[in-house]
Amino acid sequence: MRRRPGISGLQGAAQARDQYRSLGDNVAKVRQDQMKEQLETFRHQLEEFASKHKNDITKNPAFRAQFHTMCAKCGVDPLASNKGFWAELLGIGDFYYELGVQIVDICLATRPRNGGLIDLEELRSLLAKRRRAVSITEDDCLRAIGKLKKLGGGYEVFSVGRRKLVRSVPMELNRDHNLILEIAQPRGYVTVEEVQSELGWTHGRAIDALENLLKEGLAMVDDGAPNGKRHYWFPCVGPSSSVESEAEL
Amino acid sequence: MEACGRVLQSVQLTASGRPSLEAGEVECQLLDAIDLEDDAGAWALKAGILTLTTHRLLWLDEKARRAWAVPLGSIGQVFASKKGLKSMFSAPRMRFQVWTQKDGRVSPQGSGGAAGSVVLTIVFKGRTGPESFVQKFGEVLQAQAWKVNMEAPQIRPTLDESAVAGEAGTSSVPTATVPRRPAPFKMNPAMAGVSGILRKEQEQQEEVDKNMKEAFQDLNGLMGKAKEMVQLAEKMRARLLQGQTAGADEEGMGTKQEMQDWMLSVGIASPVTKESAGALYHQQLSRQLADFVKDPVQRAGGMLALVDAYCLFNRARGTELISPEDLLTACTVWATIDVPFRLRKFDSGVMVIQSVSQSDDEIFTRLRALVKSGDAAKVGVGATEAARALGMAPALAKEQLLAAESQGFLCRDDGEDGLRFFHNFFIDISVATAFEDS
Repeated sequence: MRRRPGISGLQGAAQARDQYRSLGDNVAKVRQDQMKEQLETFRHQLEEFASKHKNDITKNPAFRAQFHTMCAKCGVDPLASNKGFWAELLGIGDFYYELGVQIVDICLATRPRNGGLIDLEELRSLLAKRRRAVSITEDDCLRAIGKLKKLGGGYEVFSVGRRKLVRSVPMELNRDHNLILEIAQPRGYVTVEEVQSELGWTHGRAIDALENLLKEGLAMVDDGAPNGKRHYWFPCVGPSSSVESEAEL
Repeated sequence: MEACGRVLQSVQLTASGRPSLEAGEVECQLLDAIDLEDDAGAWALKAGILTLTTHRLLWLDEKARRAWAVPLGSIGQVFASKKGLKSMFSAPRMRFQVWTQKDGRVSPQGSGGAAGSVVLTIVFKGRTGPESFVQKFGEVLQAQAWKVNMEAPQIRPTLDESAVAGEAGTSSVPTATVPRRPAPFKMNPAMAGVSGILRKEQEQQEEVDKNMKEAFQDLNGLMGKAKEMVQLAEKMRARLLQGQTAGADEEGMGTKQEMQDWMLSVGIASPVTKESAGALYHQQLSRQLADFVKDPVQRAGGMLALVDAYCLFNRARGTELISPEDLLTACTVWATIDVPFRLRKFDSGVMVIQSVSQSDDEIFTRLRALVKSGDAAKVGVGATEAARALGMAPALAKEQLLAAESQGFLCRDDGEDGLRFFHNFFIDISVATAFEDS
């Protein structure tokens, strides 16, 4: 394009540039939208195939591998068996096993955030999001978790008030306790609020960890503190423990 | 044994002693107690495991940890087994012709680059007969899955890596393999200018739409177009991930996040199944599991809850779920084969997979050093101190202390401070010399 002289020429060029840009943006946006749409149909179809043709897919090893790759690439969960009559009645079939795997998956994914403690209702709703085809009830979750018992029962469901919580980290592998001991170190005790604020945990997570330490015999409770808050003492980590025992000696 | 190396390809094995597969290669059937012989009698491989994959025929000696392969592309003729009185009493066999190169090695290009051929015999000595194997063999030969790899030679170590490095990998492959000649330039007025570009875009999109419709008509359609669809999925994924950056809307971010979550879960391209492995199922599953858990266990610090392993392993297997019972059996098989993992059960009933390198001995050594050092020598060591020193949960540290006590390294003081452990001096005293002085 030949550059025309004068201010009007400059303005014209700028205008043309703007027009090109807005056109380009438009095209990019349209393309993006189209692709999203395609991806959506793609995913939808894959989901349908996964639930309808499961047996045929598994029969052919080479195709199975390709199908898995497709699913993984577009973020489709290949585990999509329907509940079915027999599963509902007797708990047989793949449905509850699949659900079990998905439950553990969710627990693993949310563990960095919640420390392995998740509300059953939250778990159910996350699960339902993945399983758009069938509705998942609380009872389904409980049954699926029950199926995992054989693997050492690392998963347990317990009630706090009216809420039900699922714990996915067995005590032997729980590092929350170490963190609490760490912050109890300077003074020998902590309160629930301190644990919450210093570690950024939820109330439930803090209480659960402290109560567990209590059960293990590592902590002691002091309800007589001046501010009325319950203090959890850790006789073994406080600064005083070594001094006292030295004095005794 | 080595004589066969002049003809067959040598195969690398994984840490647990399973043959490592090429990209896109899938196991179809496994049989045990198989002999593989040269018909001329030059060599014979006795009593191994035969694996039929989509690309190769593998013969594996589990004890000696060595494996040989015949690429399916080199197989010429398959001879029908002779039916006669003699075959009634001897083990069933199958003979087939293999093309070889000038140097006597098998020729993966088939008859094209071949200079000669040898005839090999498979002898089925196991309980499972050859019928199903021969049928599968025919199917796999017909499918010619190996040809696809030959056309596009790409360095793709494993499936899970290729998914990540896919884009980078393809661009770094030397373009010399595809001589890029500028296409004869024909000016098409409809393709010129901005509107031309737009029209071309539009056409491409329509093409993709059409392709997808065809592929998802029924299962056969999808099977036929599987390769294209995998590529399409890959392309969409790549574009979606790079395309949205700054002004990404909420929903878009959601899908992006979701996709990345799922990436972690691809892994085992060729899962061992009951159908393919038959009688060898648990044993092979056990080895595959050992190969798989290596990384997760390492990431978890040497110890992984069995339930977590169950989920990760099943996720990697896609639709081929295994039951908790099968996983337990697979873990117990570890005790009989040589793999660096073991199953450990705590008193509380919790089960974990532990790497052998994180052995008790190492922890005992650290605990013994701990009880001798500083204050601990006077006031002892409780579960909390041990937990801090070893970097593990108090409950687990307590288990380790009790284990060290039962080994005689520590002794306990169950007093008002709770249960504390001290160095056991008795272990240092030798009975023979202790009384000599007095």
